[in-house]
Amino acid sequence: MRLVVIGNGMVGSRFVEDLIGRDGDERFEVTVLGAEVYEPYNRVLLSELVAGKADVAMLALGQAVLPRTTVRRGIAAAGIDRESRVVLGSDGSRNEYDLLVLATGSSARIPPVAGLSPLPRGVLPLRTLDDARGIIAATLNTHRAVVVGAGVLGLEVATGLARRGLCVTVVHGSPHLMERQLDPIAAKVASDALDRLGIAQRLGVFTEEAYVEDGRITGVRLADGEVLPADLVVLTAGTIPESGLAREAGLEVRRGIVVGEDLATTQDPCIFAIGDCAQPPEGGSGLIAQGWDQARRLAIQLSRSAVPSRGPDVPAGAEDEVEVLDEVPSAGGTDVVRLKAHGLDVITMGVCGPSRPAAEGQRVIQLSDPHGGRHLEIVVEDGRLVGATCIGAGSVGADLTAAYTRRTPVPVDPAQLLLRPVQGVATQASSPTLMPDRTTVCSCNGVTKGAIVACWRAGAGTVAEIARGTKATTGCGGCKDVVGGLIEWLNSTDPDRRNAPAPSSSRSGDPQQVPSGAPVIA
Amino acid sequence: MTTTATHCPYCALQCAMSLRPAPVTAATPMDPARPAAPVAVDGRDFPTNRGGLCQKGWTSAQVLSAPDRITTPLIRGAGGELCPATWDEALNLIAERVLVNQAEHGEGSIAVFGGGGLTNEKAYALGKFARTVLRTPFIDYNGRFCMSSAAAGANRAFGVDRGLPFPLEDLGGAQAILLLGSNLAETMPPAVQHLVGVRDAGGLIVVDPRRSATAALTGDGKGLHLAPVPGTDLVVLLAILHILWAEGLADEEYLADRTNGADAVRRSASSWWPERAEAVCGVSANALRRAARLLAHASPSRGGGGAYVLTGRGVEQSTQGTATVAAAINVALALGLPGRRGSGYGAITGQGNGQGGREHGQKSDQLPGYRMITDPAAREHVAGVWGVDPDSLPGPGVPAVELLRRLGTPAGPKVLFVHGSNLVVSAPNADRVRDRLAALDLLVACDFVPSETTDLAHVVLPVTQWAEEEGTMTSLEGRIIRRRRVLPAPGEARSELEILADLARRLGSTVRFDTDPAAVFAELARASAGGPADYSGLSYARLDAEPALFWPCPATPDGEAPHPGTPRLFADGFPTPDGRARMHVAQHLGPSDDVRADAPLYLVTGRVLQHYQSGAQTRRVPELSDAVPEPFVELHPLLADRLKARDGDRLRLETSRGVIRAKARLTAAVRPDTVFMAFHWAGEGSVNRITTDATDPVSGMPEFKVCAVDVRLDESSTAGVA
Repeated sequence: MRLVVIGNGMVGSRFVEDLIGRDGDERFEVTVLGAEVYEPYNRVLLSELVAGKADVAMLALGQAVLPRTTVRRGIAAAGIDRESRVVLGSDGSRNEYDLLVLATGSSARIPPVAGLSPLPRGVLPLRTLDDARGIIAATLNTHRAVVVGAGVLGLEVATGLARRGLCVTVVHGSPHLMERQLDPIAAKVASDALDRLGIAQRLGVFTEEAYVEDGRITGVRLADGEVLPADLVVLTAGTIPESGLAREAGLEVRRGIVVGEDLATTQDPCIFAIGDCAQPPEGGSGLIAQGWDQARRLAIQLSRSAVPSRGPDVPAGAEDEVEVLDEVPSAGGTDVVRLKAHGLDVITMGVCGPSRPAAEGQRVIQLSDPHGGRHLEIVVEDGRLVGATCIGAGSVGADLTAAYTRRTPVPVDPAQLLLRPVQGVATQASSPTLMPDRTTVCSCNGVTKGAIVACWRAGAGTVAEIARGTKATTGCGGCKDVVGGLIEWLNSTDPDRRNAPAPSSSRSGDPQQVPSGAPVIA
Repeated sequence: MTTTATHCPYCALQCAMSLRPAPVTAATPMDPARPAAPVAVDGRDFPTNRGGLCQKGWTSAQVLSAPDRITTPLIRGAGGELCPATWDEALNLIAERVLVNQAEHGEGSIAVFGGGGLTNEKAYALGKFARTVLRTPFIDYNGRFCMSSAAAGANRAFGVDRGLPFPLEDLGGAQAILLLGSNLAETMPPAVQHLVGVRDAGGLIVVDPRRSATAALTGDGKGLHLAPVPGTDLVVLLAILHILWAEGLADEEYLADRTNGADAVRRSASSWWPERAEAVCGVSANALRRAARLLAHASPSRGGGGAYVLTGRGVEQSTQGTATVAAAINVALALGLPGRRGSGYGAITGQGNGQGGREHGQKSDQLPGYRMITDPAAREHVAGVWGVDPDSLPGPGVPAVELLRRLGTPAGPKVLFVHGSNLVVSAPNADRVRDRLAALDLLVACDFVPSETTDLAHVVLPVTQWAEEEGTMTSLEGRIIRRRRVLPAPGEARSELEILADLARRLGSTVRFDTDPAAVFAELARASAGGPADYSGLSYARLDAEPALFWPCPATPDGEAPHPGTPRLFADGFPTPDGRARMHVAQHLGPSDDVRADAPLYLVTGRVLQHYQSGAQTRRVPELSDAVPEPFVELHPLLADRLKARDGDRLRLETSRGVIRAKARLTAAVRPDTVFMAFHWAGEGSVNRITTDATDPVSGMPEFKVCAVDVRLDESSTAGVA
């Protein structure tokens, strides 16, 4: 079966690897068309590259050498002929298919700002490796940067450029940052964190005009008339699904290419769309986790499915849908948003942000600590975490992500989730006097403080003598200091051993524990 | 009065000890249920344990006088009871059933299951017996549950599998150690002495979902404890790899000179940036970065004092155990550690002879010397030592879990010999194992104390243990050490060496089976010559004189000085065809039995200090049994609160395999989404009855360490107390 994949990016290449890995019967002959000349690379890390936190080599995902697979890099798709089931390549090639997968991704949205057409030098989006290289090159001799758009990518770029020592101003049309993920209160905490990083912000105001001299950017004018001088402007004002080919081929396109649960396009059961270019029933999130999940699901589905029976000359019909033998569950929690921003710690998942519905049965609990740079909100329903917003929350965010993605039960009082559970306390750290008698001093040999006191009373006065009597210290030896301290304490409180201190009463008497470390030598 | 130098009978640390006759004093307790030990134990100075012993070691002599020692052969009578029998009766019965089954169903109808506690000599003899007398391919052992993932990972990467390719004491000089899935502070406490230096340097990094005794060693600024979601250790490693490369911390010169495959591994690690890894493994991106940087700064290529990556069963007993070991090795290679003195990768072997036990032919696909049974040259060499036709040797069998699955099935083995393994407690999904054993025509169990497995046997053969026999063990370092006899065999107990030799005769075999351990060792050494685990330069005489002999130790030509052994491997290259280490791409797939709505928690399993493996030995030592008498379920107070459970309440745990019950033990040392149980017991709290027997596709290792479980308060317990 001939399968053509348009797009050799993170999702397209992952899909092909997944599919060939599952194609034990060697049913598929795959052709991949990729517009970029590069091997697939990790677009998610472009902002890390800009921030100087990752080496460019680390972006390479590598073009796996796969059997029965031809990858044509630098060849874009020029058109899809659904009648003859052919994808036309930019090199004039005709690529015949039985099944077609669109993984064309998205492109940077260029905001409607005067002076940006064509893009002047010093103005770049951040979508491709070349964009990132351009930005890094520009940082070498610029000092003032403006970042247009304060969503996830915008904040990662802004903090990254600040890390490189640039003066950065973020301009954002919405009155608060990351408005898709954060409500105004949370956004304010994030905004304060940016202030502390020295990143200026202009919120609730649009960029109206780019000032250009000799084809090079010199600054931007905002809607309120303010002019921000700048020799670098990075456009992070969102993305647009690459759906032109699909639209021209007569497929249904709204924001993206409309697909069903099975990722097949609504007009043609032989054509699928995955990743940023697709618009699945739950909506496209623009997150790689969703794209990779779709790649995996489609690979499983196609590798298990029967061959579509429609001949090339028969028009698409509803009865010819690709059979799905097993339901392929979606990996849970693919909508976790985790900012990779130097000095700004933001995680959101599930129900969050201003648009969160006040659904019945959902408990919303907040911990607001603006002066501590911290804001946490969790949404709990039926004993499970269904949403969370974490700013400056450190490891709590990691715990919440684990609970959210795995749907593990939350505590009776969900507020406990807002703080890290206190970890075990070292039992050997407390002073000898405060230690209950049943405290195990030597864990290798199960010797309690009570047993050591008893051994001391019986005449043992050195660590070696206690060791002979109780075996304490004879395993890993880690308790030698504590045993020494106990002896010292006992010697000082009763040098004559006549009125040895009564063992401090243990709070919960556990008779089984008390003298288990008593002398054992036969 | 004499003392005898020997080693502890339990774990792979093989602590050195001296045995002397027990002093008889008026204070000796006379309780017949708790007879005094026949010998007294003293710690003995040795590089591994430095005179230290844990509670198990100090009390080990009490197993010698266990009141219910098996001292005569037992045959199950018509009434279902095991009845004392003579050796002739027992062995004749076995021989007859073996011959009948072989005649009816072929040689594959007989199977052998060995153990990682057997001496090298016994392990060797058992493999030889299976291949030459029974001529069955079906032999495997409980080491499959122990070291198989580490072995597969190391063999693929380095071309050899020696748990620690360096002496344990080398760890003392390290500046950072990444310890994954090992709770050595409980499983081999004296080993903690070797972590003093790295703890003082603040460089001990422990990866464990629990705040285990070992993880707690990182407290007070001694290091870092990463507590990933169970089943995601591999993601921690992939993220560390990502960070090393992203931040330019990898040893590129070493990678270029001494490894293959680094490019593909780097590309695969590209997908695991720390923030993504955090969302999967639950360890914060910052903690992952700290761990990677700690390791990098300790690495010799960056001027550090040395770094190690060590793995244990916690990460290996997984359906992605081999991949996880591969990733751990990749981290070590990316840092340029293996083959540099004071740095490296190692796996911490568990069972007493877990190392030697996997080298001499108990494994389904191996011949002595760690040779592959599919290798024609290896077959020819070993067949020559055994005096048989190479073509008469069977091919590879199947790994343990698959072997157990086939028992008593129409096409599967009908007779099983079990040596030193308590399968129905220590195998995963143990109720199914019990069913399979019940379907056998004949189950023969060789052991020195009754166990839940001997309870099911048709014939039980009493064997010698530890202080009653001579032999060798190979410790976690690949050091060959001597076990020495101080007591006669009790009752009619015999060594397995004698039993196998006798059975061989009764089965009509002419293959020679020595019964003197020194002679068996000499034969083993010859059989291993030229293999990866080459013992041919060793003998009892040498081992008695030199306590620091590590394999490989090949024979040298007459007149030349003996080979000094090899404490440290890889100094001059790796034993791969091109001398380079091979890096393998590791993919995270997650647990085979992941949490879901009707099983929303993780069940992880492990050990406690006081017990060893299935507990067959340690449950018979009153001091150990008193300290930890029964199974328990560790759970976080927040989870207990949700379940309305208090400390000590009985809990009911249900997985896809079944239901067990045990008491709750509340502790903040476990993640709130996870419960922990130790596996040392039989009965209604025997956790391996509900663990999964899904296995790693490469190593055959079952996924003991993680499955999905539903936990609730046991309603049936509230009524029962009469």
